[in-house]
Amino acid sequence: MQLDLKKGSRSYQLAILIVIIMAVFVVRLFYLQVIKHGYYVGLANNEQLKQLVIPAKRGEIYAMDGTSPVPVVLNETVYTVFADPKVITTSKEIIDTIQRVAGGNARPNLEGLLAKKESRYQILATKVTRKQAELMKNANLKGIGFQEESQRVYPEGQLAAQTLGFVNSEGKGQYGIEEALNDRLTGQDGLLQSVTDVSNVPLTIGNNNINKPAKNGDNVVMTVDRNIQAYSEKALAAGLARTKATNGSVMVMDPQSGKVLAMANLPTYSPAEFNKVQDAAAFNNSTITAPYEPGSDVKTLTMAVGLDKGVVGPNSTYNNTDSIKVEDRTISNATKGQTGNITFQHALNYSLNTGFVTVAERLGDGSNITLQARNTMYDYFHNKFGLGEKTGIELANEAKGTVISPTDEDGGAVRYSNMAFGQGLDVTMVQVCTAFSTIINGGTQYKPTVLAGTTNDDGSVFTPAPAKPAQSGVISPDASNTIRIMVHDARSAFYASSDRKGYYIGGKTGTSQTLENGKYVDDQTVGTYLGYGGDSQATPKYVIMVQVSGKHMNLAGNTDAMPIFTDISNWMIDYMKLQPKG
Amino acid sequence: MQTAGRLSSRVSTTAREIVQRRHRPDYQIALYMGLLMLLGLIVMYAIGPQRAHVLNNAYGTDYYTSMYFFIKQTVSLMLALATFIALALIPYKYLKKYAVKILFAGLGTCVLLAIMGNLMHLPLAQCSLGACRWFDLGPLGSLQPAELLKFGLLVFTAGFLGMRLQQGKVNDLHRTLIPLGALMLLAAILVIGIQKDMGTGIAMVAIFASMLMVAGVSRKVGVVLLGTALALGVLMIIIAPHRIERIITFLDGDTNDSMTVDDANYHITHAKIAIGSGGAFGVGIGNSVQATGYLPEAINDSVFAIMGETFGFVGLTVILMLFTALLLRLLKVADHLPDPWMKLAVAGVFGWLGSHVILNVAAMIGVFPLTGITLPLLSFGGTSMIFIAGALGLAFQLSRYTVHGSLNKESNYENPSSRRGLGRPRYASRGSTPRA
Repeated sequence: MQLDLKKGSRSYQLAILIVIIMAVFVVRLFYLQVIKHGYYVGLANNEQLKQLVIPAKRGEIYAMDGTSPVPVVLNETVYTVFADPKVITTSKEIIDTIQRVAGGNARPNLEGLLAKKESRYQILATKVTRKQAELMKNANLKGIGFQEESQRVYPEGQLAAQTLGFVNSEGKGQYGIEEALNDRLTGQDGLLQSVTDVSNVPLTIGNNNINKPAKNGDNVVMTVDRNIQAYSEKALAAGLARTKATNGSVMVMDPQSGKVLAMANLPTYSPAEFNKVQDAAAFNNSTITAPYEPGSDVKTLTMAVGLDKGVVGPNSTYNNTDSIKVEDRTISNATKGQTGNITFQHALNYSLNTGFVTVAERLGDGSNITLQARNTMYDYFHNKFGLGEKTGIELANEAKGTVISPTDEDGGAVRYSNMAFGQGLDVTMVQVCTAFSTIINGGTQYKPTVLAGTTNDDGSVFTPAPAKPAQSGVISPDASNTIRIMVHDARSAFYASSDRKGYYIGGKTGTSQTLENGKYVDDQTVGTYLGYGGDSQATPKYVIMVQVSGKHMNLAGNTDAMPIFTDISNWMIDYMKLQPKG
Repeated sequence: MQTAGRLSSRVSTTAREIVQRRHRPDYQIALYMGLLMLLGLIVMYAIGPQRAHVLNNAYGTDYYTSMYFFIKQTVSLMLALATFIALALIPYKYLKKYAVKILFAGLGTCVLLAIMGNLMHLPLAQCSLGACRWFDLGPLGSLQPAELLKFGLLVFTAGFLGMRLQQGKVNDLHRTLIPLGALMLLAAILVIGIQKDMGTGIAMVAIFASMLMVAGVSRKVGVVLLGTALALGVLMIIIAPHRIERIITFLDGDTNDSMTVDDANYHITHAKIAIGSGGAFGVGIGNSVQATGYLPEAINDSVFAIMGETFGFVGLTVILMLFTALLLRLLKVADHLPDPWMKLAVAGVFGWLGSHVILNVAAMIGVFPLTGITLPLLSFGGTSMIFIAGALGLAFQLSRYTVHGSLNKESNYENPSSRRGLGRPRYASRGSTPRA
């Protein structure tokens, strides 16, 4: 621009001044708009971009009631009542209303909370029902608001508490199926994101607007049968009351599918009030989380291996003494005096350790538990039966347990002689039940499962989960048939009178020592009982495993665990409407 | 000096003849003004509906239609253009003649406003927080008498100072500086003191200052005047707590961005958010989000920030360039006007426009405290637009009397001693010396 201003004139000076000021402005604008652009876009988005999370409904959990699913975990909407003490003028009225309507859900010392004028948010009551919230809203109290949230409700109360788990205050599943299937149950929250004007009205400006609907979580159906579960819990509680044991677990499994029908654990808790639990041990589903030394139950598995390998038969005999020497150790029997040439059935009946050490020896060269014997046992126990490995059941915190391999320096003949009668290995009940089911069902291994399938949103249509792959021929059908008969005979030898006539029931006791810090303690044994039942010799309908224990308590399989098995077994016959045969 | 004097003497004779003969006005003044007005209208079209929506929401009415602000701005623009044309056509000699009356009208309406508002609390005076700045004329809109006062000061001072200039008494304490200082003080009391309008007050000081500067006030006097003005400014700040708050806010700078509505920093933070989020090229016309109620005074004082969001760095730079061009044109016209009245009047228009632009933009970009002043030609608001257009119309008319070539009388005015031998009054033949 040609200005013709005389250099040094006042107009010239003013022109210079203006140009300098404008140049400063442009530099400042460059700083604000180009260099700090991201920062200010951030500030702008902070206030302009409103995000509304559309919460996904958490999936409900169903149990089976015979053949149809029934809900055991549902959702309900509850409200948190909060106040802005700064704007409240009618404290007295508010306190009266909330205490009258919310009762025990009102927080203590409401006067004190409302007196905190400088704070803008005080929670006055929690977990208020919709009806209560409406009553409060209708009172037209100024300065109080309601925040909606969803909480779990348990129509069956404490039923299967450890199997279900609970949902913590952050909405995350903890323990049980809630934790294991948390992602499926949670679903995917939807998101509504929009630029809004100052009064939060969405605008169509910009390209940051998102409208993603929520994807509700799956409703999952457990294989657990609500009636079997309820009865198992009842029977277990009664059994613990009889024996004064403090802890107990029961697992009921369908041996023909691996489906878990019940998992009962005591002590238990109420998932609705999980936050009142003092000892978190109550959350654990011991049937899958607590490896223990299984004891004599495992003799059925050792026998099955011997039968499958053809090294022993039910009527083959060996010379029993009250103890047997393996390398530098001497292994004694709990029951003495059954000496002489006896059958392995006899050894199973009396749970003679020596008999099963002998089976292990026969898997080797006949008198030593050779590497070949140990490899064979490891192959069956670990690789085929799945002991010492997670089963993959759909529950949180499953433990692996330990089965020491023959190549380990601790995996010598002494170790394997012990393993033959159930010591020197750590396993979980679900592993034992699965292995036991395999050897009595004809030799097919089904993966244990608690997940029966899913339902649609309102729970009316049940879609079964695809069957997990099963491994047949784990042991031969003949060996399976033989061990099933042997286990039946072992029970019948002493407890035939406990079972109802016309049904085919088998079982094995176990009394195992407890390890504490790697050492056996003398004053504490765990009593277990592992058995099956059904209406025919060929096809067992259920497997039941019972375990009872207590601090400083010597509990035995036969006196303490077995009656609980018998109780549940006899009830199962009625529940499953099994008809007596010959 | 002697050589220069002789040269001047010879040229001044020519100048008088050229002054008498009008030529084409400086159309660039109209061009820049028109472009800026158009930009303002476009932005008003884009954000007016949002502003209307926000107001309807706030007051729970549907009084403001979506075209309300656009239509009002269009009407204001029409009136402004009419005023521009009127001031461009009405011979300036009438302004010279009625300068005192105009000044008294400005002072009088301000006093009237103070009486009606501050003393009688009549609804005709629009007040907020004890500051009454507007007459509420109902359906006709509202009128800000301070604008009239500004115009009055401009035409009066052009005459008074022009006369002293011719007398060579620009730096005379008793005859020039004290009377002018008294006038300035009176205006300051009315505008800054009573109306609590620091922005308009500063603009008036800037008008005075530009005229004094171009009139050639000595550096010594300039420094004294500047010092006095600063001292008074500090006094004004001390007596009004809201100004201290604004200063503190300003001193917090960019480090204390506030998202809380009732926070002192909220306005300036949001001006910066609007400007900063515009980026290099802006979000585009109609896509301003800050105008939907986040940024206060979005269509008035903050329109520069909204334009920053809309047009980006490039757009704002163009707007500032348009203002700069317009201001430089005014300086050029002032520089080339031989008549002191004309020269000082245009210098006053320069001070008026320049101070508004600088105060407004500086506040929006966070380099000067908020003063609550409109951005000329762009902000919504009739009074300010009409008066600034009128002032530009006057400058446009006067641009017809410029003298080009090597002529530059300014150095002579600066040094009265050099004029003594040349005989005066130099412009006596035009008979237009104001009689104050």
